[in-house]
Amino acid sequence: MSWPLYLALKQLFPTGRRFPFFTFISILGVALGVALLIVSISVMGGFGREIRNMIVNTQGEVQVRATGLMENPRAVVEAVKKVKGVTAATPFAEGVVMLKRDRQPAFPAIQGVDINHVDEVVPLRRFVVAGKFDDLDDDRVILSYQLAATIGARLGDKVQVYSPLQLQKLQADEIMLPRELEVCGIFEIGHQQLDSSVVIVTLRTMQELYGLGRAVHGVNVKLAEGADPDRVAREINRVLPVDGLAKSWMDANQEFLFVLQLEKNMIFFLLLFIIVVAAFSVASSLLIAVVRKTREIGLLGALGASPRQVAACFCYQGVIIGVAGTASGLILGFTVVHFRNDLVAGFTRLTGSQEALERFYQFSQLPAYLAGKDLALIVCSALVVSTLAGLLPAWRAAKLKPVEALRSE
Amino acid sequence: MSDPFSILQATGLHKSYLSGERRIEVLRGVDLAIAAGESVSIRGESGSGKSTLLNLLSGLDAPDAGELRWEGEASLDHARRGRLLGLVFQAFYLVPELDAEANVLLAARLLGKIGPAERERARELLRRVGLGERVAHTPSKLSGGERQRVAIARALMNRPKLILADEPTGNLDEGSGDAIIELLLSLCREEGCALVLVTHNAAHASRCARPLFLREGGFHAV
Repeated sequence: MSWPLYLALKQLFPTGRRFPFFTFISILGVALGVALLIVSISVMGGFGREIRNMIVNTQGEVQVRATGLMENPRAVVEAVKKVKGVTAATPFAEGVVMLKRDRQPAFPAIQGVDINHVDEVVPLRRFVVAGKFDDLDDDRVILSYQLAATIGARLGDKVQVYSPLQLQKLQADEIMLPRELEVCGIFEIGHQQLDSSVVIVTLRTMQELYGLGRAVHGVNVKLAEGADPDRVAREINRVLPVDGLAKSWMDANQEFLFVLQLEKNMIFFLLLFIIVVAAFSVASSLLIAVVRKTREIGLLGALGASPRQVAACFCYQGVIIGVAGTASGLILGFTVVHFRNDLVAGFTRLTGSQEALERFYQFSQLPAYLAGKDLALIVCSALVVSTLAGLLPAWRAAKLKPVEALRSE
Repeated sequence: MSDPFSILQATGLHKSYLSGERRIEVLRGVDLAIAAGESVSIRGESGSGKSTLLNLLSGLDAPDAGELRWEGEASLDHARRGRLLGLVFQAFYLVPELDAEANVLLAARLLGKIGPAERERARELLRRVGLGERVAHTPSKLSGGERQRVAIARALMNRPKLILADEPTGNLDEGSGDAIIELLLSLCREEGCALVLVTHNAAHASRCARPLFLREGGFHAV
């Protein structure tokens, strides 16, 4: 071990002292910053992952949308399935309808799905919380959880569906009666917007409501594990037989994902300041140490140490505090992440806010996910900032002339 | 022309300081040659330039004029100073975070020499200065005399050719001071290294083979 590292360790952990206060406080400052970053970025990552899953589970990883109508969906599905990385594809049609039960109207988005193949791409069955997905047919409908609550619909109730096609008919002096559908299921995805205003019907029902004939609006695509959605979308666009456009889920939700990433970056940037403040405290403590140890620094020079070695001794102290603080912060952060749901449950019990949490934030379990690159970024940032904290004291120490340092009072 | 038998040869050393707007000439052409194994004492009144001279001899400070040669060479970099010279100070300057053995070993560590032989040498030196049982004690648990013994052991650690001791008994009582001087002289004899002892104490100075008196910037007969 080089002597600057040896002396740095000895100055931080002196012989015969179990609890070096300065060292403990310095390490704690960095550790708290790192732990907060780990917890915050993990929770943000968890939400991001949940949202990603929600998008993929409802749209597939790639979505092909026709610029107008997709007149021959079967040909598109067959062409898409031949693309490398695609495991399944299913057509869909979508729009907006007016839904009425008794005198309770609602204006949800409507999604027509191919009940024979939709399961291969989007696991809608998994989100059905009442009734059965298998009961869905051309005379039945599945409502989202909050929509059903809003209009007071239960399983077996009849709802009337009005589509824009009826307006077109009226303009041509024709009358088209509303379609009456029976509620056969209620689903809950875990996303407020989807849970409050979406209904699912069969593709045929949707085609009838909108007068689409055999046409659809697009095709949802499921990819093989590990396939790159952007690459597959590009490949689909190359072979697409009709006028349509394939987009990966990232591309289709670009703006939303950008906002999500921006929030995550802002949180990282703001919390990084905790480490910066801790680093300032380390720097000021080390600067005081340089002043307090002026004569010792002079002694080292007199005994044969070069200014660079003296500087390295103080630099190492910053690095050691950074390494120890980062390691402690990782342990603390991952412990908090592990027990996050117990901590949130304890907090909501204390404040009586369990219901509000579920209502406004749409979760009762806090998600967490930390990507490897985020972890690396946190660790590198903490180490770099702590090392920088040791540079100024090191420079001051290196500047001291042994003869003047030994003479200092 | 340098003396091939000298560990250290100083010729015509001049050194002055600014005190306010007045320049004080502390050393005015000091000549000094230290032969291998020789012991030299330098006495003088406060402010006569004893410590200034010692700083020049140790290469920690540079003269305004004159020439210094250590074993015939005019340059003394950090590492060479660590090998050639052993320094003992009035205020001991032990590292408080290290125990006695680690303080002695520090001199070897700074030169990148640390191994079983160096550890054994440090323990042996501590035994010879009478601290064989206190190797694991930190400076705060040692008396002033004991701290100076550790500092002497540290100065001898790298088997230097010359020990420069700046008032090593200045912070000690008379009894401890006498013991320290006795120890310093006997160890230098045993190790075969030369000694330059700066002191106020006439009795301590007279124990050296060549007592010198520094006055008005130059050496005078005692």
